[in-house]
Amino acid sequence: MNQQQGVQMRGKRGKKPIRPGTILGKAVAYLVMGIFAFMTIYPLVWLFFSSFKTTTEFRTNMMGLPIDWTLENYRSAWKIGEFDKLIGNSVLYTLGSTVGITFLSLLTGFAFAKIKSKATGPIYGSFIIGILLTIQSLMVPLFLEVTSIDRGIGDFLRSLGLVGSGEFRLFHNTRFGVLIIYIGSALPVGIYMCTEYIRGIPSAIIEAAQIDGAGYFRIFRSIIVGMSKPIAMTLSILNIPSLWNEFALINILVSETNLKSLPLGIYKFSGGLSSDYGKQFAALVIGMLPMLLFYIAFRKQITAGVSMGALKE
Amino acid sequence: MVLPSFLIYLFVFGFPIVLAIVLSLSNYGGGKMFGGTSWGITGFRQYQRLFADPYFWNALKNNIYIVLVSVLGQLPLGFIFAYLIYRKTVKFEEFWQGVLYVPAMISTIVVGILWSIIFSPYGPIADTANHYYASAYSAKISGIFQTTGGLSDPDELTDQIIKASPSTINTVFSDPSVDLKDFLLSYEPGDTATLQKDLVNLLAPRWNADFLSKNNVAMIPICFVTLWMWVGTYLLIFLANMQKIDRGIIEAAQIDGASEMQIMGRVVLPSLSKVIANSAILCISGSLSGFALILAMTGGGPARVTQVLSIYMYDKAFMGAPDYPLANAIAIMIVLFSLALVGIMFALERRFGGKE
Repeated sequence: MNQQQGVQMRGKRGKKPIRPGTILGKAVAYLVMGIFAFMTIYPLVWLFFSSFKTTTEFRTNMMGLPIDWTLENYRSAWKIGEFDKLIGNSVLYTLGSTVGITFLSLLTGFAFAKIKSKATGPIYGSFIIGILLTIQSLMVPLFLEVTSIDRGIGDFLRSLGLVGSGEFRLFHNTRFGVLIIYIGSALPVGIYMCTEYIRGIPSAIIEAAQIDGAGYFRIFRSIIVGMSKPIAMTLSILNIPSLWNEFALINILVSETNLKSLPLGIYKFSGGLSSDYGKQFAALVIGMLPMLLFYIAFRKQITAGVSMGALKE
Repeated sequence: MVLPSFLIYLFVFGFPIVLAIVLSLSNYGGGKMFGGTSWGITGFRQYQRLFADPYFWNALKNNIYIVLVSVLGQLPLGFIFAYLIYRKTVKFEEFWQGVLYVPAMISTIVVGILWSIIFSPYGPIADTANHYYASAYSAKISGIFQTTGGLSDPDELTDQIIKASPSTINTVFSDPSVDLKDFLLSYEPGDTATLQKDLVNLLAPRWNADFLSKNNVAMIPICFVTLWMWVGTYLLIFLANMQKIDRGIIEAAQIDGASEMQIMGRVVLPSLSKVIANSAILCISGSLSGFALILAMTGGGPARVTQVLSIYMYDKAFMGAPDYPLANAIAIMIVLFSLALVGIMFALERRFGGKE
């Protein structure tokens, strides 16, 4: 009622809407948000500059710019953290799982959205429940599951004489295990987003293709994948940082250095080494730089993707 | 088409939950899980043990703090910031969005270690405070030297310095009125500059608030960092959804004389109620997984006071002798706790949410 009236009145007078906010309100707004922005920028800049100071210089000149710029911190942090091994793993885990998540989410989302079946409701519902569960709360049973399955299969194959007496590995301490569990952990959200998106693709297109004799896989390959590029992009861009930064799961899935990812290497620099600030800072910069660069490169897409994360249900 | 995803889903979510339920009712002590007869179902004994453990209640309490900070801190702040940008009360929209989201891009481990350094008693906060204390104290001391005439009247000087110094002076000098005077007189009268400097180094007050190792305050930095990390995320979510609101409605409200607070409370807030409820769910499940942050900041210490449920569970399963049944009981409690919170959110949304 008031809405219409208001719109009409505005139409008649043609006035610009009144600018909100008094001077004081504005000042407070700038101040509070400025404090938050400061608390974000300053520690990171400080961290960056501190990583070029020697530990001795850090103790005497904590807040200023480095006087003697040194790369020694990076050299030794790189060595201690064995980052040369970890970076490759991180890239593999992140890209491998992202591809897997995106592909499976699209495929499953297509099935849920466009293929009518009695099973759709319950199975889709079970995935939705997965959104509400934090996978991290299941890390203990997950750990027991992967180790027991490995041991069970190993014992079985050994009794058949198919494998030697060594430890049998399928899921625990393998790259395959990490990938499967990463993919699984992100599927509920991915499938939900893809299903909602693909629902918006007109069914007429699919029906037309069916009349032309195309099967579901053909339709998926030639129609759905092409039309779902935006959601696939969003999903990937949301998953890449969270997979790259993942810690809790890989911490229990992998115990060998040559299988570890970057965050596990950075974690080495908490606690024990902490009196050696220089190396610690260098390790932290190494840890955050890749995703900061990723953010700078894809900020627009990330911003748009994040706001899609809280879709209506 | 659904099968591969569903199998992986069962492997990662379904089976572990069943396993957790079974093991939490058992006395499984590690070792062979399949084929062995070394363990059996023992009923709710683990849950009794859990409820009798004060550390469980402590971890639950900490989890509730974090949930409260998340739901009552991140969401309202994110909402207000988004609103300020939306209504153009503050300019530079891109800047705020871009900067405030940065923490969410950084690994939790990096964030945890970085803030634990910042809050440490040798970190930059302490350093800045100490510089400030030292210069304030130094000004006081030189004032005293001027008014008392310096070393020409050592008794008065000693008296004044004792008055101006923090109580730590009693640990530096066992009997300040005697020992400090001796100390002062050990300097040449012409060397007051050095003396003053030495006095500052010895006696200036020092910052010793070691937040992360004090039992009663250690949760405060953790809650702060949780807030810091995620405000930007909710800012982005709320802002994007505000921008979908029909501008006409707000202009209409303005012309009808609605104040800025009324527009926020009566127009913008109700039309975002669904998004807010969903964000709250996101927020709750996010805050329950604050595992890595706390592990990197305090490791659950000092003396386990900053443990949350997930750290407590991790401790029971992977630190020291594994107690798998109890750890699984904790896993089930976390799942139930988060489902309960989500249920409350849904109920609240249904009760108070606006119509769309």
